[in-house]
Amino acid sequence: MADVKLSNIKKSYGNTPVLHGIDLDIKHGEFVVLVGASGCGKSTLLRLIAGLEDISSGELCIGEQQVNSLPPAQRGIAMVFQSYALYPHMTVFKNMSYGLKIAGKGKDFIDAKVREAARILHIDHLLERLPRELSGGQRQRVAIGRAIVRDPNVFLFDEPLSNLDAALRVKTRVEIGKLHQELGATIIYVTHDQVEAMTLGDKIVVMNQGRVEQCGTPLELYQHPATRFVGGFIGSPKMNFIDGKVAAIGSDHIEIQLSNGCRSRACVEAGDLKVGDSVTLGVRPEHIEERSDAGTLLSGDVSLVERLGEASFIYMTLGDGTEMVVRGSGESTVTTCERIEVSFAPHNAHVFDSNDRALRRLKPGNVHSTAQLAQLKAVGQETL
Amino acid sequence: MSQPSSIQRRFPWHILFFLAPGLLIYVTFSVYPLLDTLWLGLFQEDATGQRFFAGISNYQTLLLDAAWSEPFWNALWNNTKFFIIHMLVQNPIGLFLAALLSSPRLRLSNTYRTLIFMPTMLSVVIIGFVWQLLLSPIWGISEGFLYSIGLGQYFDAWLGKESSSLITLALISVWQFVGIPMMLIYAAMLSIPDDLIDASVVDGSNAWQTFWNIKLPLILPTIGMVSILTFVANFNAFELVYAVKGALAGPNFSSDIMGTLFYRTFFGFQLQSGSITMGAAVATLMFLIILVGVMLYLFVVQRRMKRFQL
Repeated sequence: MADVKLSNIKKSYGNTPVLHGIDLDIKHGEFVVLVGASGCGKSTLLRLIAGLEDISSGELCIGEQQVNSLPPAQRGIAMVFQSYALYPHMTVFKNMSYGLKIAGKGKDFIDAKVREAARILHIDHLLERLPRELSGGQRQRVAIGRAIVRDPNVFLFDEPLSNLDAALRVKTRVEIGKLHQELGATIIYVTHDQVEAMTLGDKIVVMNQGRVEQCGTPLELYQHPATRFVGGFIGSPKMNFIDGKVAAIGSDHIEIQLSNGCRSRACVEAGDLKVGDSVTLGVRPEHIEERSDAGTLLSGDVSLVERLGEASFIYMTLGDGTEMVVRGSGESTVTTCERIEVSFAPHNAHVFDSNDRALRRLKPGNVHSTAQLAQLKAVGQETL
Repeated sequence: MSQPSSIQRRFPWHILFFLAPGLLIYVTFSVYPLLDTLWLGLFQEDATGQRFFAGISNYQTLLLDAAWSEPFWNALWNNTKFFIIHMLVQNPIGLFLAALLSSPRLRLSNTYRTLIFMPTMLSVVIIGFVWQLLLSPIWGISEGFLYSIGLGQYFDAWLGKESSSLITLALISVWQFVGIPMMLIYAAMLSIPDDLIDASVVDGSNAWQTFWNIKLPLILPTIGMVSILTFVANFNAFELVYAVKGALAGPNFSSDIMGTLFYRTFFGFQLQSGSITMGAAVATLMFLIILVGVMLYLFVVQRRMKRFQL
């Protein structure tokens, strides 16, 4: 069993702090995805866990053991690099067996291990080839194979799919998911791609500027983004944000005077909010409908329509210049420059206060969550 | 290719035009002098200075007549020793320095790099002169220096003894040129992606194993190139021996190498009168030796060595 526990992990380069105290609990067998924009510190965090960089302060435990000062090989981890980092002068077999050889394992043991891993990954026939004779997808497998043979407690993946083309990326993503079930090991996976995060992760850790912004299951993040950043990061196309002020506070909703003059209802808990406070309304494109009577009505000029077949992304500009995206039906007849009216239901609205913290939603999702998750995954597939 | 190639393609004049300048310079300053040297080696001069064709008699004299062949084999053997010392001392040290320089934990690495490379940029004549002064048993500072660190009894007139003068000269040359292998290998090491090193660390190898198993195989092609450069430079060497020991490459020709032998043969020195044609023969043999060495490298060594896509 290897739980991974990070307590107040900090990292700075010289006087530049990069990570400002990360706390994270990862259960054995969990698939945890660290996600965030580039430069948010997710790769640094992974390298800290791997032991490739020193932890400035805080405590890192793998299993029961504090591993802050242990070298990578003794932490029971294996890492798959973005560039695969295969040794170019070694055959696939030697690449995969290198770690075991260094560890002084016997020849038969190594042979059995490597062949077993090669069988799992369907690369048995490639064992005698050099990395340069392999395609990108095959290299990727070898890199994963090199990790598997070491029987690690924790797998670390550093953006392993970003060097693959779109089709292969989807395929490999699925395979990594299956592999996780097969091996049952803990996986910590870094990516900047929220679709990868949503589809693979049992738990997603959204990072921003060296801090954990929110940590939760994919659906939690989708339905209850804790901050405006998470709201904008998870989901594709991005959540729409409209500035506004609190106009009235009801028992199970608040009313917001939007910047374009409309008045909108949102089913959220008001908390400390007072009438007149600045807030941001957030609505996902898939929760906005064309020409419907339900809820808040917004009108704007269409600037672009992207037709994906099953859906159309309608980009529109509201009266005050706010840009919005609407996910319309595939058969939508809307055209560029047209003026259209769209609406969304109050229970689908998110509200963020002036510190970008989300207010608690009262009737989130309303509430066919599995269907929504399916839809979300569909959205993800399209963006690939 | 649906159309039959009935239209004859025009002669590609533009290719000729772009090749011409380089080709012209190469032929004038490299190919022609070389061929002329090879040709000249087949002639002899009579007392009046009249040249006549003599076939391979110059080479017969040079290789079989004891008066000529002894200095020749002596110079060739010395030159080989000169090369071996470079290979055993200069290139391993260059590799070692490069490995140190590429260590991210080394501070001031740029300063070290510049300092170590500095002698390479100096004139060989200056280097020779400076070391002659340093090592001089009469007024050099080496003896005093060695005494001050307790090694005084080991001091000797290294440059003045038959047994040690060639080795000393080779080490001076190593000192001067160690920066070149260092720089080349350093550049090759920098081109190894960090990820590879990280991967090897995660795989559990220590610094030495990483160097031996990962870095060294990847810089092997560069080491091969450094070796062949060393070979060519060593068999063309002349200035250092000339600057320190003069054209007689003393004592008693113990530091005589191909370059100095050629110089004495071609230009003459003291009691020996110069012979252009015999000089050309020596130069031709030098050319052939280097040619064979480089060919061996290209066709035997380099074929087996693969450059790896990093």
